[in-house]
Amino acid sequence: MAYTFYPGCASEATGKASFISFEAVVKALDIDCHGEIPDWNCCGATLVANAIGDFAQQAIAARNLALAEKEGKDILVACSSCYLNLAWTNEKMKTDPDFKSQINEALGAGGLSYNASLQVRHLIDVLVNEIGLDKIRERTIKPLEGLKVACYSGCQTVRALRRPDFDDVEYPVMLDRLVEALGATAVPFPMAARCCGGSQQFTNPELIYDLTGKILDCAAENGADVIVTPCPMCALNTDAFQQKIAKLKNKEYNMPVLFVTQLMGVAFDLKPKDLALQYNIVSPYQKLAKYGVKK
Amino acid sequence: MTKKQAVYFCTGCGLGEALDIPALVKVAKSEFKIQDVKEHPFLCGPEGVALIKKDIEAGVNTVSIAACSERVCYDVFNFGPSIIVERIPLRERVAWVQEPGDEDTNMMAEDYVRMGLSRAKVTELPEPFLVENPSKTILVVGGGLAGMTAALEAAKAGYDVVLVEKEAQLGGWAGKVYKLPPLVEPFTDLAENNIPALAKAIEDNPRIKVYTGATMESIAGGPGVFNAKIKHGGGTAEEKVGAIVLATGARPYDPKKLTYLGYGKTNVVTHAEVEEMAKNGKLKEVKRVAFIQCAGSRDPEHLPYCSAACCVETLKQAVYLKEFNPDAQVYIFYKDIRATGKYEYFYKAVQQTGAVFIKTEIPGVQVLEDGGKLAVAGKDIILGEDVTIGDLDLVVLANGMQTNAAFGEEVVLEDAEAEAAAAKEEEAAVKLDQIIKSNMLNLVYRQGPEMPALKYGFPDSHFICFPYETRRTGIYAAGVVRATMQVPAAIEDATGAALKAIQCVEAVARGEAVHPRSGDISYPEFNMNRCTQCKRCTEECPFGAINEDEKANPLPERTRCRRCGTCMGACPERIISFKNYSVPMIGGMAKSIEVPEEEEEKPRILIFACENDAIPALDMAGIGRMKYSAWVRVIPLRCLGSLNLVWISDAMSSGIDGVMLLGCRHGEDYQCHFIKGSELAEIRLSKVSETLDRLGLESERCRFHQVSIMDYYRIPKLIEDFVAKIDELGPNPMKGF
Amino acid sequence: MTAANNQASRYDPAFANELYSIENGHYIKQCMQCGLCVVTCPARHLMDLQPRKYFKAIQAGDRDRVLKANTPWLCTSCNLCTVRCPRGIPIIDVMHGMKLYLAQKQGVKSAPGALFSKTFFDVMLKRGRQWEAWLTQMYFLKAGPSAIKDALKMMDVAQPMVLKRRLPLAPAKTIKGKSQLKKIYEKAAALAKEGH
Repeated sequence: MAYTFYPGCASEATGKASFISFEAVVKALDIDCHGEIPDWNCCGATLVANAIGDFAQQAIAARNLALAEKEGKDILVACSSCYLNLAWTNEKMKTDPDFKSQINEALGAGGLSYNASLQVRHLIDVLVNEIGLDKIRERTIKPLEGLKVACYSGCQTVRALRRPDFDDVEYPVMLDRLVEALGATAVPFPMAARCCGGSQQFTNPELIYDLTGKILDCAAENGADVIVTPCPMCALNTDAFQQKIAKLKNKEYNMPVLFVTQLMGVAFDLKPKDLALQYNIVSPYQKLAKYGVKK
Repeated sequence: MTKKQAVYFCTGCGLGEALDIPALVKVAKSEFKIQDVKEHPFLCGPEGVALIKKDIEAGVNTVSIAACSERVCYDVFNFGPSIIVERIPLRERVAWVQEPGDEDTNMMAEDYVRMGLSRAKVTELPEPFLVENPSKTILVVGGGLAGMTAALEAAKAGYDVVLVEKEAQLGGWAGKVYKLPPLVEPFTDLAENNIPALAKAIEDNPRIKVYTGATMESIAGGPGVFNAKIKHGGGTAEEKVGAIVLATGARPYDPKKLTYLGYGKTNVVTHAEVEEMAKNGKLKEVKRVAFIQCAGSRDPEHLPYCSAACCVETLKQAVYLKEFNPDAQVYIFYKDIRATGKYEYFYKAVQQTGAVFIKTEIPGVQVLEDGGKLAVAGKDIILGEDVTIGDLDLVVLANGMQTNAAFGEEVVLEDAEAEAAAAKEEEAAVKLDQIIKSNMLNLVYRQGPEMPALKYGFPDSHFICFPYETRRTGIYAAGVVRATMQVPAAIEDATGAALKAIQCVEAVARGEAVHPRSGDISYPEFNMNRCTQCKRCTEECPFGAINEDEKANPLPERTRCRRCGTCMGACPERIISFKNYSVPMIGGMAKSIEVPEEEEEKPRILIFACENDAIPALDMAGIGRMKYSAWVRVIPLRCLGSLNLVWISDAMSSGIDGVMLLGCRHGEDYQCHFIKGSELAEIRLSKVSETLDRLGLESERCRFHQVSIMDYYRIPKLIEDFVAKIDELGPNPMKGF
Repeated sequence: MTAANNQASRYDPAFANELYSIENGHYIKQCMQCGLCVVTCPARHLMDLQPRKYFKAIQAGDRDRVLKANTPWLCTSCNLCTVRCPRGIPIIDVMHGMKLYLAQKQGVKSAPGALFSKTFFDVMLKRGRQWEAWLTQMYFLKAGPSAIKDALKMMDVAQPMVLKRRLPLAPAKTIKGKSQLKKIYEKAAALAKEGH
């Protein structure tokens, strides 16, 4: 299976580590994913629809689908919010003829059109269902034995299509399987698809403290050493806000938050620069030291 | 018939390992003198069945199979109508519930062999009771939606139908409405009123004979031989019919009783009045309307039940209003919207029209005058505040329905009441059926002229356990006369009732019972020489199958009989018996149990268990490998109603230490398949307790439990508790006498 | 009108119909008040009207309460209620529609969420992609002096992010098809307006 990559805006900033480790893992597993959608634009995240409505946001997201269709390859997305916007728009293009013709009318204003011929796939889906856990197990050089992981799939990852997609909408398990294939232990984590507060850091910070706090508590109560997620927003809230929340709650978490591709990089024994751990705010080095990770 | 018996022991399913088969063989050979005794490791397999068949060819006609429960492999071990088959359930009732290889286990198995063989010795092949020229015509009383549907469905299946309607034309309540609620997928759009088309189809159908402007003068006889007299056009027509569908419908709840919801004020109307307005185009001017749901329904002061159809009727009329006037604004005051099943889609579609739903308490809303218009005031439970909707052109009361069967005087059977009063002095009596003289069927039955009411006047049965079965064999109530329901449910109900009626006429033609003993050809026979005219059988028959003559002799209407044996249990003279089920036969089984001497300290407990629920529960306990006491021996009964007290006194006098009865739940929400059997048994047991007390035996030695099939997990506990009680009481002093 | 006078603002079908006609607004009509969204919503404890009651207030045309409610601005887009709603109401889409409506009606400065969303969109449309550091600055600039205090409270979070280079201050790339994107957006917005 060949893919065109959609990196999303976070890949250039808050989710830089995701982008770097993703590229390294793609190479390590020899995934046929070469190159980004040319001149891709922002998908709209969770915010643009608030300002311009769903339809207009989906038209903006559809520009990426139209550009990708020229490449003729399915779209691979690592960012969960981007996945939701692209996959949901794609789903509507495939199933709602009125929507499709309206979107194409809008795309037409930019000289584009989209025939809904592509699939939009999330990284976790491709890793588990296309590449396969066997291959991941095979590629694992340093099994992460003894590492207890809270697998935080996140909301947007599993509810993009508003129905069971590649995983369960409430209690996802694919990330757990993936982490287990790396030799680590997936601890029970009932908050795996619960909200961290999303993009309300400035508009409703109390909500972030509360919800992300619950995620961190749940991971800690279940004995996790680290949290692993594919979602840049989940990672941002649980990592960057961790100290603040710990202070507010008078707690000590010390819970490094890794992108799933970073953890894979550790198990695959990739080079330190490929792991991009220098971007992590809560330092992961101590917890990963026994797997040969050095600062 | 001269019996040539053979006994087969299966050693499969763990039986061979758990039991000492040679010892069981010895019981058959030495105690019952049967020489043809065989073992097979897989009796229900082709080889095992062939073994039995070979013996049958060589002349064996009575086959006792000591293997699994009679509830399994009955098809495998069916060797045709001329071969008696007795099943000895060693698997579910011994091997799977006892310690394998134990001495007590084997004693238990031996007793089951004794019980089975003693029964095989005396049972006879039943012969069907066939009536001459049974009619297969189906009488449908009531020409509304349900009645017409039943008539058409029966005719489509190839049966002649007589349809009786009291109005001058067919149609009933549904015939008078403007439109019907959605009837087909996706259940969002109203259906045109198809009642005229149905009426036309009936008139065009050569199989259906229609009497309009007609009522039932009387119905005598029984299934296959009903003699129906129809009052019609000033005279009386007579029809011989095989089965009856009662589809006489319901009527709207009397709105005059709804003054507390504003009825009587100008522009406060009922559902029926809105239908009229719709037909006459009078809804065009109506702009603002409020509906009040549960007007009378779910109200202990009025109709305690849900009328089932009014939510959908209101939704339907909300659509009318929009249809006539797209600017109309509809408000619906409700407790719960009960648009069940796929009507959920209709509810959603009506919400999409912009109708406003206000959850409130009814009663609790008030209808007020509002400057020439109306207002409805109440509490909006969701917003948590009072609300008044004013400027209303119309307030519609969703006034629910009452079965037509509920109208009329309650029938008082004079002698029954006198007896009940007399009985009351002695002991509790079974509550008499409520029969309301609604003038719908006018049955010539000792038990009264109409169907007995279950609750609120509805002539229903326990619908979950026995769909469509009423308490009068061959008469099936359908549609809203039976229970409140929505239109599609009434159509389904009528179709089901037509099917049941067809099953009934076919069963009668073959001399078989209907549900629940479908296919049973045995029937009760009366030895009239010894009848004392005590009338117990005629009174206790739950189905009105026994009339009586003026001298109080029982006159069995055999095709009404459901073969439960309640009459057999009731008869103090024991003159009623079936060829394959009788008082001496069951008594013989009980007596065949070997009762050990007192010093052996092996008590014996006899369980009479209902075949319908208690036996399956016991079998399920067996399948679950639950263990219970080795002291018990189980005898299945057709229904606990067939329990004759002599069995208990005989068992006690032969040294059995305790008797337990396992029957169905009775009273409210009864589950007895024969309606009153288990209740009667419990009452009879209370009588035997007094007898036991007089004999110096503790009445606690007899116990009654209500069990349903789902109670299987309780079985071991019930048994252990009783065993503990018997231990406490000590051995039956009659042992050895 | 006599009896109904004191409740004139309740059950105002005109206002209900106005909201039913916004993008995805018609779905509100089919809420049956089961309350599953309420037990689902992670932000319910901060809402002055929880989703179920919010929908009920819209159905009742309760203008005052609806316009004052913070409900949509607390929606995190987690999508759980949308997945669960037995009536198939895409609650997340309804909330998007409500937020757009409120921003248009009351101005983008009426709610922080409105301003943040609008700023996000403006940056995105101008560049084709997001530039998070710039977005943050723009937002606080537009929000005015009162927001500066909030911004300062966030310094403990922002500082490590800058240090760890997760909030690069240098502008990210812009796309080539900026005018193409703008045309698509404008056409889509026009179509959306036509649609309802």
